[in-house]
Amino acid sequence: MPPFLAELLESLSAPQFRYTLTLLFRSFGTTVAIFFLTLLYALPLGLLICLFRMSKFSPLAWLTRAYISVMRGTPLMLQLLVIFFGPYFLFGIPLSTSYRFPAVIIAFSLNYAAYFAEIFRGGFLSIPQGQYEAAQVLGYSRLQTLNKIILPQVLKRTLPPVTNEVITLTKDTSLAFAIACAEMFTQAKQLASSQASMTPYLVAGAFYYAFNFLVAALMEYLERRMNYYR
Amino acid sequence: MEKPVVFQVQHLQKSFGHLAVLKDISLTVHSGQVVSIIGPSGSGKSTFLRCATLLETMDHGTMRYLDDVVCQDTPKGSRYASSGTLRKLRSHFGLVFQNFNLFPHYSVMQNITDAPLYVQKREPKAVLQEATALLERIGLQGKENAYPCELSGGQQQRVSIARALMGQPEILFFDEPTSALDPELTGEILKVIRDLAAQMMTMVIVTHEISFARRVSDHVVFMADGVIVEQGPPDQVIGNPSHPRTKAFLKKLHDGR
Repeated sequence: MPPFLAELLESLSAPQFRYTLTLLFRSFGTTVAIFFLTLLYALPLGLLICLFRMSKFSPLAWLTRAYISVMRGTPLMLQLLVIFFGPYFLFGIPLSTSYRFPAVIIAFSLNYAAYFAEIFRGGFLSIPQGQYEAAQVLGYSRLQTLNKIILPQVLKRTLPPVTNEVITLTKDTSLAFAIACAEMFTQAKQLASSQASMTPYLVAGAFYYAFNFLVAALMEYLERRMNYYR
Repeated sequence: MEKPVVFQVQHLQKSFGHLAVLKDISLTVHSGQVVSIIGPSGSGKSTFLRCATLLETMDHGTMRYLDDVVCQDTPKGSRYASSGTLRKLRSHFGLVFQNFNLFPHYSVMQNITDAPLYVQKREPKAVLQEATALLERIGLQGKENAYPCELSGGQQQRVSIARALMGQPEILFFDEPTSALDPELTGEILKVIRDLAAQMMTMVIVTHEISFARRVSDHVVFMADGVIVEQGPPDQVIGNPSHPRTKAFLKKLHDGR
């Protein structure tokens, strides 16, 4: 066995490595929580913003347009800092560590909702007018038309671009380190500097990759499930 | 005895911007009547159908289904009934689109039963029975669970006719029902329409199938440039037209063959 391989194997079983693994795995829970909570809020919020954006009431449409423009036009990290520090600088509300996690969820949800809104809008625009007309002639109300006829088709059509965003979200959770929220990347950074080693980064990378691998597989499965019609 | 009036429109006017698409159209359809509307493209046939089926609002004129008034002419334009009334009115008519417009995510059975079940809120057992019988009538038994993308164009159009019939309408409108089909598939649609005519279904058909219009309908309307140029029994309008516009249109069609 070549010496470097023996060294590597030894380091993998070393107490320090197990310590790294344990800490990263624990903080990975926070990463996963950011991921799911963001989706939980951003997807419905995105749909709502999309409907506002397409509303015939022009002030509402313009307002949401401006919102989307700002959210897409500025860095997520900057938005995160504004959400976290804003209450203190604007209103003098004292910063609290317990606000870190909620601030991450708020910033991520607001940002991702803007992207989802535009994806959904593309989906709505791709549905032929005839679908609305057929529903109208059959007596469906506007809400029924949206719920039963249009939305299912929009969701199917927007699944591939939504998958893209979801995978990006996994990686974007690492931006939470900017306000020292204790997710996996923040933890990896701390471990790396205290151990003067790259290993924590590599382990964190493996976690991100494994998670996204599962996400991609799940989304592919959903796509296949919806493949029964065109 | 005169049959009851199912659909009546008087002095219908409709413009898009400055373009007057329909200029003073009046038409009365009695129960059991089959009316064909023919004419060159751009004559306003489709717009007329869209006004009749409430997909467009008309600028001027009066319209009613049976005794229910859709809109009444006022000096300021057509005044429509309340949206609640209009929703109830829709059950009087059905519309078959040129492009079928079936719901792709619904099976054949769902396509034809969803509106009766969830819009009209009819009794599920009766709806299912009616749907099964209807599918058999149009020759699609065994296709209940198929999706529109698995059907031929002719089959899709037959499903869309079934969907329109499920609302138990008093009158059925067809907007060029065979225009999106391969020529060899038009026959099956025309047969379904003929069968409906034999059962005294009241129908208004916008079509380019002149010989079919002549055979199936008992009243033919020739439209051009937003007006009804000529109307009457098919043997008169198609067989022996009196107006030069009608003659020119039919000659052009004939030469095209």
